[in-house]
Amino acid sequence: MQASEKTLNEIKLRIPYVEVKKDKLISIVYVQKELLINTLKTIKEDFGFKLFIDHSVIDTLEAQNRFEAFYILYNVDTKERIVVKTKTEHSLPSIERLWFAGKWAEREAYDMFGIHYEGHEHLVRAFMWDTYSYFPLRKDFPLQGYENVELPSLNETVFGDNLTGTMNYRRTHTYVPTLKDLEYTEKNRIKKKAQVVLNWGPLHPGTHGTMWFLFDLEGERVVQTDVILGQLHRGVEKLAEHEPYQQFLVYTDRMDYISALCSNQAWTVAVERLLGIEDIVPLKAKYIRTMMSELQRINSHLLWLGTYALDLGALTIFLYAFKEREKIMDIIEGITGARLTISYTRIGGVRMDLPEGALEVIESFIKFFPKELKDWEKILSRNRIWLKRNKDVGVLTKEDIFFYGLTGAVARGSGVFYDIRKLEPYDAYGMVDFDVPLGENGDCYDRYLVRVEEMRQSVRIIEQCVQKLKTMSKNEPFMAESQDPKKLRLTLDGIGLKVPAGEVYSSGENPRGELGFYINSKGGLKPYRVKIRPGSFYNLCVYPHLMENRYVADAVTILASLDPVVGEIDR
Amino acid sequence: MSIVALGIIIAIKVVVILAIILGIGAYLTLVERKVAAHIQRRPGPMVVGWHGLLQPLADGIKLLTKEDILPSSANFLLYNLAIVMALVPASLVFAVVPFGPEIHVFGYDIKPILTDVNIGIIMAFAFGSLAVYGVALSGWASNSKYALIGALRKAGIIISYEVVITFAALGPIMLAKSLSTYDIVMAQIHQKVWYIFLQPISFVVFVFALLAETGRVPFDIQEAEAELVTGFTVEYGGMKFGLFPLVEWYVEVLSLSSILTVLYLGGWSPINIPFVGFVDPFFFLGPWSGFIWFIIKVTILFLLVLWLHWTLPRYRIDQITTIAWKVMLPLALFNILITAFIAPLLRG
Repeated sequence: MQASEKTLNEIKLRIPYVEVKKDKLISIVYVQKELLINTLKTIKEDFGFKLFIDHSVIDTLEAQNRFEAFYILYNVDTKERIVVKTKTEHSLPSIERLWFAGKWAEREAYDMFGIHYEGHEHLVRAFMWDTYSYFPLRKDFPLQGYENVELPSLNETVFGDNLTGTMNYRRTHTYVPTLKDLEYTEKNRIKKKAQVVLNWGPLHPGTHGTMWFLFDLEGERVVQTDVILGQLHRGVEKLAEHEPYQQFLVYTDRMDYISALCSNQAWTVAVERLLGIEDIVPLKAKYIRTMMSELQRINSHLLWLGTYALDLGALTIFLYAFKEREKIMDIIEGITGARLTISYTRIGGVRMDLPEGALEVIESFIKFFPKELKDWEKILSRNRIWLKRNKDVGVLTKEDIFFYGLTGAVARGSGVFYDIRKLEPYDAYGMVDFDVPLGENGDCYDRYLVRVEEMRQSVRIIEQCVQKLKTMSKNEPFMAESQDPKKLRLTLDGIGLKVPAGEVYSSGENPRGELGFYINSKGGLKPYRVKIRPGSFYNLCVYPHLMENRYVADAVTILASLDPVVGEIDR
Repeated sequence: MSIVALGIIIAIKVVVILAIILGIGAYLTLVERKVAAHIQRRPGPMVVGWHGLLQPLADGIKLLTKEDILPSSANFLLYNLAIVMALVPASLVFAVVPFGPEIHVFGYDIKPILTDVNIGIIMAFAFGSLAVYGVALSGWASNSKYALIGALRKAGIIISYEVVITFAALGPIMLAKSLSTYDIVMAQIHQKVWYIFLQPISFVVFVFALLAETGRVPFDIQEAEAELVTGFTVEYGGMKFGLFPLVEWYVEVLSLSSILTVLYLGGWSPINIPFVGFVDPFFFLGPWSGFIWFIIKVTILFLLVLWLHWTLPRYRIDQITTIAWKVMLPLALFNILITAFIAPLLRG
């Protein structure tokens, strides 16, 4: 929920120089740049907004104070969210002392907007290579980039520049990093302290994607770690500024490609909240979305379980998990027509009604799935080797969760009750009954138990959704109808959907943590700025801390238990 | 027996043993894939031949026809020597394995063992230790950090478990009062007891050490594919790559299983009722039943190894060495202590 009037007034009383603003969607505290750190500190320590959610800037293109920075914070105890905003020309004070996660967010803002952070310990680019000279998310950077590097294709190199017709491509392209650039970036990231710097990635089976880790090794002990991101960077936030709201949906598929339906849902709900039509979305659509998201959550957790066990050497669980996952994939394919990049939800509903027999298939799946899960737990949960590899490895305390801005199963594994489905129910989550499993020690084993239990809870949710959907008739609408089609056009293709000016931060509980969308709209067909808060990105930022003084073998355990997906980290 | 006849007999033995080991080694890949597949509820290789019977052949052709790549700045001599150093000691262990009882062919009494030296067991362990050179050399010569880490891990394990395995084997040796593999089996037959019944602790320790030495799960950290890709073999390609798992996973497992059978399961002797006698359902085969029993025992051990491999997760390097030095070694020493009291009670 947004911070209440009362909290804002208290903040106003306590810190007199701030301005506060509250509307239905967002609670904002405006503050001068010079007083930013003190304000954030007071809000964090005295008002309990301990959990760091997100930080970035908006390029307003104004002559004075061009950039508007925002910090999104959350109070887990009172369930309030607050946005702190400030304006700046080109520099900001660093918040690395308050939240480590802020350090990574600042690196991203530096990378994308060229904001200089005073007092930042190691201000290097987050996604682009270090010799890159532009700031892509600035409004004056063209969508297609600057095409000023001549890169002939192989054909052109071999046969000369005499190709005709469709074969005759443009020879100038945007700059791509050369090996030299990457070597420079690598040298720039880590100063060797111990014996060997091991390049772990970017193409390595243990990294679950294209992440590039640098381990400084003393024997097998890791002394320091750094991560080079950006191998999958596609500039989704830039694309969002140039796409209609509905059409941006397909990019949410490609962010966290393992849980596309959940990302779809989070984006759709965010836009619906911005439009103010959350209430007119038909109940049927809400239940379908919830049910599909939970199926996707099981699917995603199964992939996690399989690869986690695989990383620890238990090869068989991988195939067991994938067999069940295949069934879910088939169900999802039968309902939506796609397996990976689904784009099933629509602003105002879903793309199509459930096909005949879908509910029966889902029912038979959830009937047998818990038995399978029990079988796997017999192999793993009490296994001595499994316990030895997981217990007391990668321990995160509650304070760590807030300091590093961790969400999702990682936060719950450390006993922090942070589940958007409960704290801020969207769609049908408020109407179904389920429990949130919490860990005690915050080690890899607790995170494993939490995720396994989450699958059971998902089964419970699906069960209730199926029961409810069975009582609904086939003729009930699955798409909202606008009362005034001239003002608000709700269609399946979403063409011509105009969104009023305003801003919103709305998030969904993805399998990999909170996926938040900060949408800033100046009215019209396209958003002015979309900041995506990827759960994986902030969950990964704790990794170098956890890897201190661990063995290389723990690298896979800890990484897999944080469960990042590169598509979401790099966006 | 003339010198010529002796030479011919030894030549035949060498050819038969090498042919069986290397041929079986290739076919065990199919066995492993089939067993793994059925543990994982899938059929496994089914396309090449009936139920994939020609799969090892297809694999072999594929591996042999691949381009031979030498990594840049690798040491040519050591890079290739590593393969020899891995293959030869592992196969040489079979020189001291007695496959069956003495048989009578063409007027000659022939022991089905290549050389019945009186320090057979020590030879077997010596060759087993030599295998580490193959791994260490490959890790060093490949000039890759992953290979080096994998090789050092393997060296660390072998050093730890070589001590353990030797102390574990001391138990049966004390009971048999001999170091010759042939005599150890004969001792078990005379005393009418398999040493597994007298040496259960040492048996378990030996099985663990077997898994560790051969790099099987839960001790397969030298090639942990999640963190080191494939460890020390990462820079090898084609058949050179194929030889390492062939040696480690099959030839070494077979050789150590044979030694295990000799030490604890009475070699070629049939089913044992302790201190009473032996029951042989294959009595109608005469002396040849011994070979059947030996094959059955080794097969069961091999399947046990596979079962563990495809079920368990793997340990971490520090946990493996901790288990070796703090659990296994004291257990083995304790076992020696007990054996010292039991051994004089047995009729020799």
